[in-house]
Amino acid sequence: MTETIQEPSTKSVESDMAYLTDFKPRIMDWSAARVFATKNLKIAIRYPANFLVWGVLPILWFAPFILMATAIAGPSTSTHFTNISGFDDFVQFSVIGWFVFMYLDNSIWGIGNNFRWEQFSGTLEPLFTAPVPRISILLGAAFSDSIQGTLQAIIMLIFAMFLFGVEYAITAIFPTVLILLIMVFALYGFGFMVAGLILVFKDPSVLTQLIAESTYMLSPIQYPVQALPKSVQAIAYVIPTTIGIITVREIAINGTMSLPAFVQSIGALGFLALIFWGLGMLSFKWAEKWTKERGHMGGF
Amino acid sequence: MTEEGQSEIFQKMWSRKGFRAELRAASAIAIKQWKVELSYPLSVLWFIIMPFIWFIPYLIAGTALTGSSESIHLQDLTGISDWLSYIAIGTAFTGLALSLLWGSGFALRREQNVGTLETLMTTPMNRETLVWGSTLHNLQHGGLGVILQLGASVLIFGVSLNVWGILPALAIIGLSIIAMQGVIFAVVCIVLTAKQGWMIVEFLSSILMLVAPMTYPIAVLPPILQYVSVASPLTWTVEGFRGFLMYGLAYEGVITAVIALIILDVIFVIVGTLLFRATERLVRQRGALSQF
Repeated sequence: MTETIQEPSTKSVESDMAYLTDFKPRIMDWSAARVFATKNLKIAIRYPANFLVWGVLPILWFAPFILMATAIAGPSTSTHFTNISGFDDFVQFSVIGWFVFMYLDNSIWGIGNNFRWEQFSGTLEPLFTAPVPRISILLGAAFSDSIQGTLQAIIMLIFAMFLFGVEYAITAIFPTVLILLIMVFALYGFGFMVAGLILVFKDPSVLTQLIAESTYMLSPIQYPVQALPKSVQAIAYVIPTTIGIITVREIAINGTMSLPAFVQSIGALGFLALIFWGLGMLSFKWAEKWTKERGHMGGF
Repeated sequence: MTEEGQSEIFQKMWSRKGFRAELRAASAIAIKQWKVELSYPLSVLWFIIMPFIWFIPYLIAGTALTGSSESIHLQDLTGISDWLSYIAIGTAFTGLALSLLWGSGFALRREQNVGTLETLMTTPMNRETLVWGSTLHNLQHGGLGVILQLGASVLIFGVSLNVWGILPALAIIGLSIIAMQGVIFAVVCIVLTAKQGWMIVEFLSSILMLVAPMTYPIAVLPPILQYVSVASPLTWTVEGFRGFLMYGLAYEGVITAVIALIILDVIFVIVGTLLFRATERLVRQRGALSQF
């Protein structure tokens, strides 16, 4: 058998060299983000059961709260709950809270864990040597997670509406999508911070769990923000999902919301998005530098 | 070491048998696991605050619903109006149950990940002792969590416990461990055969937690889930544990809880052990013990 070794053509080498000499760092490489997101989605599609499992599992997590509420307050409502929340059905109140919270959960567990998977697959170091801005890789991971998270949240909402017999205003769809888009954008910054933690700590399962449980405790999912102690309420509003849950709940249950309040929510979410993006990018850059200096990038 | 000395050690090792030898092996596994856990400071921190982080959302939700620590609806369903004590004692057991299910269920998987499972399997101890050792560790780990949460509930939230009920409540936990070991063996079987079987275990543990009367009586469950709840050892453990800690020796449901637990102990531990032995044999025959 004759082995043929193909020599790289002079033209190809020249074009590669030209690329390297002409290469100018860019702030954002959209095609890299798209490629990374597509790659992640292709892997996700290989495991379709995951979408169903992650859509149904949250119901098993929040059902105990609904059952507890039924046991101590009777079916559906209580006077005290209506007085402090302004809503008269805690099942309807909780389901929409969980729907929005799934995006936060996804940003905590998703973006950072993408890098952990790359590390397990042995592709993290090659990925970080690619001549593309880090933001493209981070956004690619974030886009694919958002698509998967949205599918899971919709599956959960449909199942929960069917199981608990709750309904929401159809007119809420457009404003909800708008609020979710800005909220998800703010959550990307949050996710970048967690991704930085994963680069540094490698397997920060405990830390991630701590962040997830603390944000869950502060978010108005099962109870309104007013149920939290006054000093903690301010911290709750720093989490982007708090404003997201309050606004989406108002629109989805009541079918309407005053325009100034809606605009105020969008403004507050936009402001949080700027803050979180700034913090997220800074902390990720610092984590990357810290990891590279110690030669820890591909380590476990 | 001389050959003679080595041979003496091997002879001593191979001649070891009996309950005490297995107990020593189990406690060695438990101590090893503590050493591993304590070398991760974040894990220690999580272990301390975990019981509160799980309990506090229930506390806030309950306060938002009732506005006080009393509930007429709960009194109608269970005869207990103090929902705060009802939930605080019920959820205190959650940490222990999860620790047993996840910690012990995935013990062999952890050994597999660090490459020590095959070595452990060649040691002259019973295969089941490997799992029992991990159960012993998680019992201590989860048990400390129960003490922490109950202590904080009494000191911070004013929950009152009946001191005469503490020892009988511990006896209930002792009875439940046997049945829980059966569930743990089943989880180990899933882990050994499916390798990445965490998704199945997540479903199993979520359903067990859902049907357990930790924060609500089983009367609020849909009828089909009430049947599942009656067949779960967690149900009778939580009922007995809470009953003793709230009413002390005057707890009326003691006979039902103890008989139910004894019956479930026998069924679960026999089925679990048989399943574990069959799975372990199957996995060894396939040579898949160290496969990922």
